[in-house]
Parts: sequence; C-alpha cells; structure tokens
Amino acid sequence: MVTVVPVASFNLTDHHGRPATNMTFAGSFLLVYFGFTHCKVVCPRSLGKLSRVLDRLGEQAQGVVALYITVDPARDTPDVMRAYLEEKHPRFLGLTGSEDEIAHAKRAFRVFAEFKGDDQAPDGYVVPHSAIAYLMSPDGKLLDHFIDALDEDEVAQRMSAAIR
Amino acid sequence: MLNATQERIDTKWAEELPELDDLQAGAIRRIANLSRQLPGDWSGMMGREIVLSEDFGALRFQLSYMAYALALAHVHRLPAAPGVFKQPFDNIITKLMHPDCWHYWSNVSTGMGALNKDLGPQPRAWDPVAKENIMYSAYLQSTALMYHYIFRDDKYAKPNAMRLRLKTLFWQEGGYLFEYDENSLTDLIYWQMAEQGFLGVACEPGLIFQACNQPNIIGFRMHDLIYGGSLAKDAEKGYVAAWKEFGIVDETGNFSTFVKVNSRTPIVLESSQLNCWLMTLLHSWNPEVVEQQYPVLMERFLSEGPNGTKWVNPSQRLPVPPDPGEEPLFPVLDMAWAACAASEVGDADTLDGLLGYADLMLNAAWQDGGYYYKRRDANFDENGYFIGMDAAAGNALFHYARLNVKDGLNKLYSGPLDEAHFSDPALVELPEDVDVRRAVFDRDRAALVLTLGAMPAGRTIQLGVRAPEDADFPLVAADGEPFDGDVERTEYGFCLTFRHHDRTTLVLQW
Repeated sequence: MVTVVPVASFNLTDHHGRPATNMTFAGSFLLVYFGFTHCKVVCPRSLGKLSRVLDRLGEQAQGVVALYITVDPARDTPDVMRAYLEEKHPRFLGLTGSEDEIAHAKRAFRVFAEFKGDDQAPDGYVVPHSAIAYLMSPDGKLLDHFIDALDEDEVAQRMSAAIR
Repeated sequence: MLNATQERIDTKWAEELPELDDLQAGAIRRIANLSRQLPGDWSGMMGREIVLSEDFGALRFQLSYMAYALALAHVHRLPAAPGVFKQPFDNIITKLMHPDCWHYWSNVSTGMGALNKDLGPQPRAWDPVAKENIMYSAYLQSTALMYHYIFRDDKYAKPNAMRLRLKTLFWQEGGYLFEYDENSLTDLIYWQMAEQGFLGVACEPGLIFQACNQPNIIGFRMHDLIYGGSLAKDAEKGYVAAWKEFGIVDETGNFSTFVKVNSRTPIVLESSQLNCWLMTLLHSWNPEVVEQQYPVLMERFLSEGPNGTKWVNPSQRLPVPPDPGEEPLFPVLDMAWAACAASEVGDADTLDGLLGYADLMLNAAWQDGGYYYKRRDANFDENGYFIGMDAAAGNALFHYARLNVKDGLNKLYSGPLDEAHFSDPALVELPEDVDVRRAVFDRDRAALVLTLGAMPAGRTIQLGVRAPEDADFPLVAADGEPFDGDVERTEYGFCLTFRHHDRTTLVLQW
C-alpha cells in the first residue's frame, strides 16, 4: 500500500538558525505553505491571505504554528527568510535546509516545484510551485488543505471547523 | 398475496411519458449482455487496433464508457429502474479489475515509446494505480465512485474492496496483489495531481493528457457528492490555472492534447477523436469552453453522408508503422467520439446524422436482444465512405451517445439525485432478458410507471419493486386494465408475478 496523503515530515532549519523538525512542533496544529521569497505574486498573495485568516480566528488560532518552507534553498538562507517574513508576513516562521532536506519535505507534502529560467527574474530563474496551504494535526496528519483559489472566508471557515 | 387490482385507475398520462426506442433498449441490453460474460471472456470486445492494451482499443476504455453510458441512461432515462443497471455496472467494475485490463502497465511503465523516449528507460512497475497510468486508475476510481453515488452502495468504500490480483504459475511466485478502495484510490490520484500543480497525472511516463485527466475529476465530484468536501472544485480551479501555461485550447482552435512534463512542451494533435473525447468529458465541469469550441471544430470534422446522414472522415492514425503488406486501419473513434460530444452538447442534428450513418454503414447487428456495431476490419467502401468498426465504438461509444441526453454528463456532475430518489418506489429486480422502456416514479401522483418491452415468447416473470416499509399495497394497472397477476409483499417492497409477452405498461399507484 502506498502512502499517498501529505504528512508532516521534515528536518530543516528555521529562520533563526535553529533546527526545526516536525517533532519540534509536535502538539501544535501546523499551517504549512511552500514557496520562495523571490516569488512576486503567488506567495505574497497566499501568505497575506493566510495571515489575515489567522488574525480573524484570533484565540482559536493560538495553537496554530504557521510555517513557510522554501523551495529555493540556494537563495533562501535563514537570514533571507527572516528578513522577508519579519517585514512582510510576521505570522510565519521560515524553514530552509539543504537541497536534499528540502526535497524530502517536498516529497512528504507532495509539493510541486520546479526551477524555470526567466530572464526578467532576479538570478534568471523562478520556481513555480504548488499554491496549497496544508493544515496538519498536532500529530502530523493532514486535516485539510486550501488551494490558492479559495477566498479568505472559505479558508477561515474550513480552518475554524478543522481546529475546533 | 393479492390477486389483481380491484379498481380501474387512470393510466393514460403514463403513455405520454418518454419511452426508450428499440435501439436505445438494444444498446442497454448489449452492454448488460457483455457485462455478464464470464471472467476473462472478452468475446465481441477485442479491439482491432494495437494489441497489449496501449491504445483506445484497450478493454479498460470500452468497459468504462459502457459503465458511463449505463449511468447516464439510468439517471436521465430510467431513473426508477436501478435494477436494470446496478448489477451490470458492478460487473463492469469487476471486469475492470481483471488483470487483462491492467497488466499492460508492466510494459508501458518502462517508457521508451515514440513520445517519451527522451526520459530514458523507466523502472518497470506492476501496481497499475500507484503512480501515473491515469488512463487506467481514473476509470477504476470514477466508475467505483459513480456506482456508489448512483446506487448508494458503498461496497467499494470498504477497506481493500478493490483487489487487483494477478495470479502466476511459472514466474513471480505468489503473483501480484494490490488492494485499494475508492477513497485510498481517490487520495492517491488527487495528490499525484497536486504534485503536478494540478496539471494532471501522467498516462504513460512523462505525458499528461487532457482527456485522460477528466475521469478523475468526475471521480472527485462523485466523491464530494457522497462524502462532502471540495476535491472536485479544488481540482477544477487548479487545473484551469495550471493549463493557462499551455492553453486548454490552442490558437488553432484545437484542444491541447498532452504536455510532455519534463520539457513542459504542449503537443496539439488535430484529431477529431481526441478533441471530441475531451469535449465530451470536459463538458461535465467546464461547459463554457466546450460550447465555445464545439461549433468551430465540428465544422471542420463533419461531412455529409448518404441518405442525409453525417460522418467523420478518420484522418488521424496512431504513430505505429504497419508491417510490410499490412493495410493500416483507420479508427472509427473519430466518428464515435463526435457522436458522444454531440449528445452531450445537445446538437441533435449532428447526433442523429452520426447515429444514422452508423446504423446504415457501420455493420449494425443484433445479438441476444442487444444492438451493437460488429467489428469490421475495413476502411472505406467503393464510394469512399468509411465502413470500419471496432469494439470500443461498437459496444460502448455509440451506445453512450445514443443513451445520453443534452448536458447529460454535466447534469450527473451537478449531483441530480436527491434523498427521495433512493427511497421512492423503483424497480429493483427483474429477469435479465426483460427490457425496460420506461421507469419513472411520479411523486405528485404517487405512481410508478414501468413499461416493459415485448418478449419473443410469453412467460411468467417476477418484478421486484422497492417501496417504503409502511407502504400499502399499490393499485396496479396493466395497459389501463386491472392487473391480472399477483402482488406479494417482500422485505424490500413488493413482488409482482404475472405473464408477460407483449409490450406492457404497468402503473403502480399508492
């Protein structure tokens, strides 16, 4: 039997330079989003929406840890992620790692991401990626997932129901 | 047991209800007959195209569109006759799990075909649903979930209810066994799709076809109708966003056929078969784009045939060179899929024209009460008209087109069955050789109408009718006259026993 549904399994470094594995957050709900800090449209939109959802849920969301895992570890060092997130999306803790560590996390969450040349982009490439937020239970199982096309109200309603 | 009905009831209104014609009833009979063949008996179903199940001649396609055709006929034409459809539909799912329908994957998974040799050799895989191969897994998933939805039977939801078993004797001791259920299979497909940014799941390694990624979305929708949730909506939105990079439709007006994943290259084949196949299925959830392109494409594909019919000149052959002396066969699928697309968008003129051509030119035949088009390994007649026929078109696709209604798949996708549908009186048991031409429960009149086709010889038959536990005995009329058979209460409702020969309309009124 093949394990098919995303699971919280990662061994990374957070944007303060501390080790961060799925066990680090055991006991908390996780809201996990994959992206890269040079992303111009999708990440800012999604992270903004998810941050507003967490704000709306208020106390109910206190047990939720929001994680932003890079798919571009070569550029997204802990310092880069910290600067980006603390300025723009302070609800989120950034996670990065080696290429292999990121690849493992991507496989665990069944994330799509690929490098693509783009002359207009910094360093000549972008990384189109899954625009899915994964809501994981305190024991690391998938509770729900929210594609980018969902509006803020629907995400808030579904997340509220899932973490009740 | 009660004998006959004591009162005369008005049944004239019932004779004004739509009724299946002989060919529609014959199409259902043909599918049911094939579904009842013994395991491994594919008589009358073998394709004339490439062997080893690689192309549309494969059994999995034929079986799946037979099942889809039954679903459409049941939901839209004979909603009060689950007994006609349920067992054949289930038989088809069982057949889909037969290794004859999936062991090709152990070859196809290795790649190195004309379209994907750039990937290099791929590891041989035996599990036909674990990765890629959406041209099998989506049909198994969607038919199982469709069965659950339209018959409210959760047999394929039970753990390991889907057993893909390949028994071996002289190799691979123990053979292979892969076990799934409708939910684990749905998860598997959904997350593979997500992993590709919702572009789809590959068929052959590295190739994502649009047409082959519609059944899984239909399966997601059936899943959501049964369990709640939004897998289908999420997949639809993700799919539309992902295909923006390539265009669901390209600048020539053709639908993009597939994408080579590694190189992110879209390939567009100007094929009536591939365009019409996709239009038929995509209309379930994205009717706007289909209805925009349909007239443009059909204008290119259709030709006038004899006696006011219409046909499609098959122009696209698969890229497999014939052996010396071998005459390449052109596919009839262009015409068959065009008929399916016409049925779905409600283009009655085209549908009638194509079915008329098939009836006239494409080897129509009757067998055991079933109507079909018999395989014929030929291309064109002396007038240049196409006359070939293969099993997938002759047993499944033309039947699909004949039994569908305007927006039929789209309506099924919308979830048309309410709670009452599953508790209202309905025909649930009948002899295999009895044709049902009408089966409708009129809620306002509290009356079940069943029209049975004529039988070659009269005999006593029994019909099982589902009814609420506390339902009184119904008043029963046969062709407007008091019913002269017996009505007996059963654990699920009532059993009617009577002599049947000529076409008869029964009205059971509560």
